[in-house]
Amino acid sequence: MAFNYDQYLRVEKMPTLWCWGCGDGVILKATIRAIKKMGWDLNDTCVISGIGCSGRFSSYIDCNTIHTTHGRTVAYATGVKLTNPKINVIVVAGDGDGLAIGGNHTIHGCRRNIDLNFILINNFIYGLTNSQTSPTTPRGMWTVTQKSGNIDPTFNACNLAIGAGASFVARESMLDPKKLEKILVKGFSHKGFSFMDIMSNCHINLGRKNKMANAMENLDWIDSITMPKKKYDALEESEKLNFFPTGVLREVEQEEYTEMYAKIIASHQGNGPKITQDDFAKKI
Amino acid sequence: MREIISTGNALSALAAAEAGAMFFAGYPITPSTEIMEHSSDYLPKRGGTCIQMEDEIAGISAAMGASMTGVKSFTASSGPGISLKAEQIGLAFIAEVPLVIINVMRGGPSTGLPTRVSQSDIGQAQYPTHGDYASITLCAGSLAECYTQTVRGFNLAETYMTPVFVLLDETIGHMHGKADLPDLADIQASIVTRERFEGSQEDYRPYDVPMNKPAVINPMFQGYKHHVTGLHHGPTGFPTEDAAQCEFNIERLTGKINTVHLENNGLDDLADYEEIDLDDADICIIAYGSIALGAYEAVKKLRAEGIKAGLFRPIMLWPSPINKLEEIGERFKDKIMVTELNMGQYSKEIERVIKRNDFTQLLKANGRPIAPAEMVAKVKEMM
Amino acid sequence: MGTFKTENPGNQPVWVNTDNCKACDICVSVCPSGVLGMRYEKHSTLGAMISIDHPEACIGCHECELSCPDFAIYVADNKEFKAAGLSFAKLTDESKARQEKVVANNYMSLDNK
Repeated sequence: MAFNYDQYLRVEKMPTLWCWGCGDGVILKATIRAIKKMGWDLNDTCVISGIGCSGRFSSYIDCNTIHTTHGRTVAYATGVKLTNPKINVIVVAGDGDGLAIGGNHTIHGCRRNIDLNFILINNFIYGLTNSQTSPTTPRGMWTVTQKSGNIDPTFNACNLAIGAGASFVARESMLDPKKLEKILVKGFSHKGFSFMDIMSNCHINLGRKNKMANAMENLDWIDSITMPKKKYDALEESEKLNFFPTGVLREVEQEEYTEMYAKIIASHQGNGPKITQDDFAKKI
Repeated sequence: MREIISTGNALSALAAAEAGAMFFAGYPITPSTEIMEHSSDYLPKRGGTCIQMEDEIAGISAAMGASMTGVKSFTASSGPGISLKAEQIGLAFIAEVPLVIINVMRGGPSTGLPTRVSQSDIGQAQYPTHGDYASITLCAGSLAECYTQTVRGFNLAETYMTPVFVLLDETIGHMHGKADLPDLADIQASIVTRERFEGSQEDYRPYDVPMNKPAVINPMFQGYKHHVTGLHHGPTGFPTEDAAQCEFNIERLTGKINTVHLENNGLDDLADYEEIDLDDADICIIAYGSIALGAYEAVKKLRAEGIKAGLFRPIMLWPSPINKLEEIGERFKDKIMVTELNMGQYSKEIERVIKRNDFTQLLKANGRPIAPAEMVAKVKEMM
Repeated sequence: MGTFKTENPGNQPVWVNTDNCKACDICVSVCPSGVLGMRYEKHSTLGAMISIDHPEACIGCHECELSCPDFAIYVADNKEFKAAGLSFAKLTDESKARQEKVVANNYMSLDNK
């Protein structure tokens, strides 16, 4: 008489190996609810993850799962999707996984607009390996590799995705799981590369040495740096500096890669014309 | 027999398509790029996919992703690209992902000599990545072998659930000439596809296989859901650190190729080497790849001058043909000349197996081939 | 190890699977109605375990279930609950006040001895 998560989980793997209060678990649940909303058959679904706490995501959902090397999830997923265009592919990466070592692949996944659902679990730190700086770790925070304070400027993951051409870009945190589920459903429904920056709390690593040692404090901090896009747009430029807008930030219709490749196949088989400049509105 | 006039690279690409490959992902790198260029036509013509990825690592990753779902895939590169792919090759070893990796060798190390020949990736082919595993490496010694050894590479990958190196080099990759190929029907009859578990989905455990046997990994999306990981894993494919399981894993991963090769005197029914005029020879030349083309000439020239030379040409470099090499060591003793385009990478293996280091080496690593005349001169020095 | 109990153990609005609870306090912090609290449990993670102190005050908002990272707490589906002739409570000033007390008590149950 409650939502039946068991159907979607590898129940023998529970409880998860994530720390107490880790937001990754909330994202996992929201993803499951989104899969249910989409009506996807688990046999036709593939979850691919990389290395990190986010990398363990693929162990838990009872579908076809692949746990790859650090940063290469989008590249593996590209091979999976191109050879199985009808399959629903969820790609999970951490902030280090997706933006540091995997930056190049993330950028090109956005550019190619191949129908992948990319969930960036952004907890602002390298969690699994214990607190090294990630490309999103706030400046001035303490990390094990920058004990006198982080001086590295940060990425705004969604700006990166938009710059790389992703046709669906959204941001949410796990503070409001219902909103998170909605964004995931939107991303899953979108045909093309859906880039979703999902903020998560890592109080055990990031939080503990940065004055937010429990889950709620870390969540409050995430709350203090996010606001819905509408409200964000109304801010003065100077006020925008320390906020991340949440919600759907970009949503456009664009030629999807596997559909375009089907035309290439037709052309090489003599069943269709060659692709020319005239086939595209944006040619350059 | 089919007579085709083509280049080594084109023949290799054709072989992949005719062996049933439906996916190629790679990146341009001299002198292998033509393999991707030809595949960009051969594959979609057959309903397959060829994609140029953003870098070498993405190239092999996409090919592995495709193979993990059950699709025959390959990638092609040269030395610097193989170096970049090292980590992913390790994942292919431990997760038992069939994959053909074509390396068209050029002068190294690093950027080296992009447009000149070498055979200096032999050591790399044996140990391309960290950890323990066993490599299968084939080396094409003719235009026809660019085709036949590529087909064989796919069959071995599917049989042993492992990545397989198919080595070409700049000479043979770009060489344009006539190749006598087996008929397509014979090729198709020889094709091997990875084994499938046909039992109930609940009973499916992909890595639950006995010692020295490869995993049985069903194609995805056909009811047999499973997990693939680069961590050490148990019979179900889920990560484990259990001491006994990890010991079993490593023994099985190396044994399924090395032990099987030794026990069965080979990994399949095809020849691991070629012998030319060895029966009555007094001296044995050992050469592989495009250098062997010159060695055939050298043997003829020497014989014409009354010197009974013969040639031993390894085709499967790894695992090495240990039994045959031991025989050659016993028979020819120090009357062996190993000639290769590197600083002795295969000589090391020969020395290890025959337990002698008094044989002659004719080595070159400056991007130039070794001419038959040079081989003749060196052999004469030995007599 | 971890089995899921999505079946309602008996017409409850909210129930827990203590096998999976890691005592993170999140569910207690998001409940608007003072239903939950952590009780001392020395053999458990962080020495605490989730306790449903006032199920009669559960308003069926599902915030605890949605925010629990560990599949440890479940809330009945609103439609099914209603169809079974049961109903959730309404949010009252009393339950709001009790929630504030629990939060001030570091999420520990007010019933702890």
